[in-house]
Amino acid sequence: MKVLKVPARTIAVFVLPCLLLYVCLVFVPILVSVYTGLLKWDGLTASTFIGLGNFKDMFFNDPVFWPSVRRTLLYAVASMIEIPLCLFMAILLNRYLRRGNTLVSIYFTPVILSVVIIGQLWKTVYNPTSMGGMLNGVLVSLGLDSWTHNWLTEPKIAMFALYFVSLWQYFGYHLLIQYTGVQNIPDELYEAAKIDGADGFKADRYITLPLIVPIFKISIVLAFIGSLQAFDLVMVMTGGGPAHATDVISTHMYNSSFGSFKYGYGSAIATFLVVVCLVFTGFINTIFNRIERKFN
Amino acid sequence: MVKTKMQKSFAIGLTAVMALSLAACGNSNNNSNEGAATNAPKSTDSGNTATATTDSGKKVTLTFQNIYPDPATPAYKMIHELTDQYMKEHPNVKIELDTLNTDQQKVKLKTQAASKEVPDITIVNPAAQMKPFVDAGLFAPLNDMLDQNGLKDTYQKGLLDYYSFNNNVYALPDGNNIEVVYYNKELFDQAGIKNTPTTFEEMLQDVKILKDKGITPMAIGEKDSWTGSFLFMNILLRTNGGPGFLQDVLDGKKTFEDPAFIEAVDAFQQLVQAGAFPDGATSIDANAGGNIFKTGKAAMWSIGSWETGAIDASSVAGKVGAFQFPTVNGKGDPNEFMLAPGSAFAVSANSEHLQETKDFLNFFASEYPKKQFELKNAVGIGQKVDGDLKAAGYSDLAVNIAGLFNQVKGGDLAFDNTMNPATAQVHLSSIQNLFVQKVDSAAVAKEHQTAFEANKE
Repeated sequence: MKVLKVPARTIAVFVLPCLLLYVCLVFVPILVSVYTGLLKWDGLTASTFIGLGNFKDMFFNDPVFWPSVRRTLLYAVASMIEIPLCLFMAILLNRYLRRGNTLVSIYFTPVILSVVIIGQLWKTVYNPTSMGGMLNGVLVSLGLDSWTHNWLTEPKIAMFALYFVSLWQYFGYHLLIQYTGVQNIPDELYEAAKIDGADGFKADRYITLPLIVPIFKISIVLAFIGSLQAFDLVMVMTGGGPAHATDVISTHMYNSSFGSFKYGYGSAIATFLVVVCLVFTGFINTIFNRIERKFN
Repeated sequence: MVKTKMQKSFAIGLTAVMALSLAACGNSNNNSNEGAATNAPKSTDSGNTATATTDSGKKVTLTFQNIYPDPATPAYKMIHELTDQYMKEHPNVKIELDTLNTDQQKVKLKTQAASKEVPDITIVNPAAQMKPFVDAGLFAPLNDMLDQNGLKDTYQKGLLDYYSFNNNVYALPDGNNIEVVYYNKELFDQAGIKNTPTTFEEMLQDVKILKDKGITPMAIGEKDSWTGSFLFMNILLRTNGGPGFLQDVLDGKKTFEDPAFIEAVDAFQQLVQAGAFPDGATSIDANAGGNIFKTGKAAMWSIGSWETGAIDASSVAGKVGAFQFPTVNGKGDPNEFMLAPGSAFAVSANSEHLQETKDFLNFFASEYPKKQFELKNAVGIGQKVDGDLKAAGYSDLAVNIAGLFNQVKGGDLAFDNTMNPATAQVHLSSIQNLFVQKVDSAAVAKEHQTAFEANKE
């Protein structure tokens, strides 16, 4: 703060508008939904206060809740596993291409498409053979008929079909972040290392990895939070069906609130989601702080 | 050289993609602008509106949320022609159509209702589905407007009861339909099926024959799960030996674990196992499901008679017949139907232009039967209409279906019109599940009963 040479009061004044906006648009709604989570309320008529009743129902009586939590967490894990791959790609691009920007832009293309478009696109790719689905068509022409599936309607497969689309879409996003991070590492470090005899992957191990940790953390947190909130893609492609087989926390919350008219219950699920996000973000931060300290 | 060329083509490609995505954004922006525009007048005009009348000449904008999005259907033409006509006659009134498909509209209305911002005119479904909105006081009673010029007497006797609570009518239905099975005569001929099935066993047989010929036996769009439920309930109407099963459950006289219910689940599973439905049915939405039949790719379609006009306007016009849902295991009466009192027009109680809205709806509902008749969409219309279908050039299918209406001895309402929303949701996904895996029927029954008891009021 000293560097800026401005009094704290000035800083406060400049931060205030954004802070107010943030409090009004983010904090207040969260608090309100925590409160509505304690009500038995259909969203329309009068509500009754039932304390933790919704949470009790949620944890012990709702057959859809825990499976959707499991699917959400799996979603998060899958998208975090993707990040090291992105980093690896970024390192390769940086090393072997003089100007990798074009490729990175191409990888980035799916990110700028609207999720609805992506969803519709992949829906037709996943269509059953009888409706001319591309994926099944390719499998059949390769003679792999037994591998064909109704990708979006077989309960055991549908969720994985969704994970894949999501990973495909965000690959370019995280690749861009990692690539930028790798490029920002000063060349002098590598040159010095080369003189000391560290080249190629050895240099990556001792220079790239330690220096990329903060960037890596950003990607991990973004991927994690993003997948906890995954909603649009599921809604467009399956709507949580068939029979809740692809429901995640957010779609279950939505269906409870607006499908079943259990607004209070939906708010309870929302509260749970907020808590999970906070806890895991804190957790990830702690882990990375340790890693960073170790490297320094 | 090569490299710059490549870069150029990439740049062009990316520009194209950007343009596409911008176009997509543009679309959604338009929609939200529409929403904003319709809200704006409300806030600026707020004040002395309750006492305003049509004659004041004051500029008013009314929002008419509706579920007629498909320009190929008569309903789309109906709403556009009627609103245009009204705006021409009343230059001070501007009617903005907020057009969505059925399931989107249901969700949008619920969202709007939660923040008490119901459009001036919206669409609701009868009985149990509209009850929460009425209980919340969101709709204006329409009694005065109905009595104003004899509009009330144009409706079939008893029809308005489905939309009445505490002696007040809260919505005006766009029809009164029954569930029938449409079939494509050409495809039946191709498969060598001579007669339409009169028993469920024959129906299963026909399904197998069609399937063997490579024809999709029954169209459905089960991503919108009411479609499967509507068919299932028709089976239940038979296995129960008559109407009233859900009412008996509500009255505590029966439970979902009753043999009639389990038998219906079994029969429905037989239909699924026989391969009656298109592959991946649960990812097809209702419109796309209907199009499978309307483009001649499926042999049967069990749906409400409201589709008659749309079928006559489609590429299979003239090749389609209809039959009554068959008896199941020898039970039930084919003259009992799934009854579908239509979606209905309701007026927001908080409308800034309540009087103008009611005036418009009065005009709309009075002209509605005539317009529908003119557009060859008068089958299952719910209001009395002058004129003979045959003489007016209606198709044999339409005349046929109109004839079926005279045979109706009684029937049931759809599940979600009878049970509360929370129970209905469990039912809908439970039926959807039958499409993708074989389930123990007793477990399905138990799931229903548990949900019913947990959500009892």
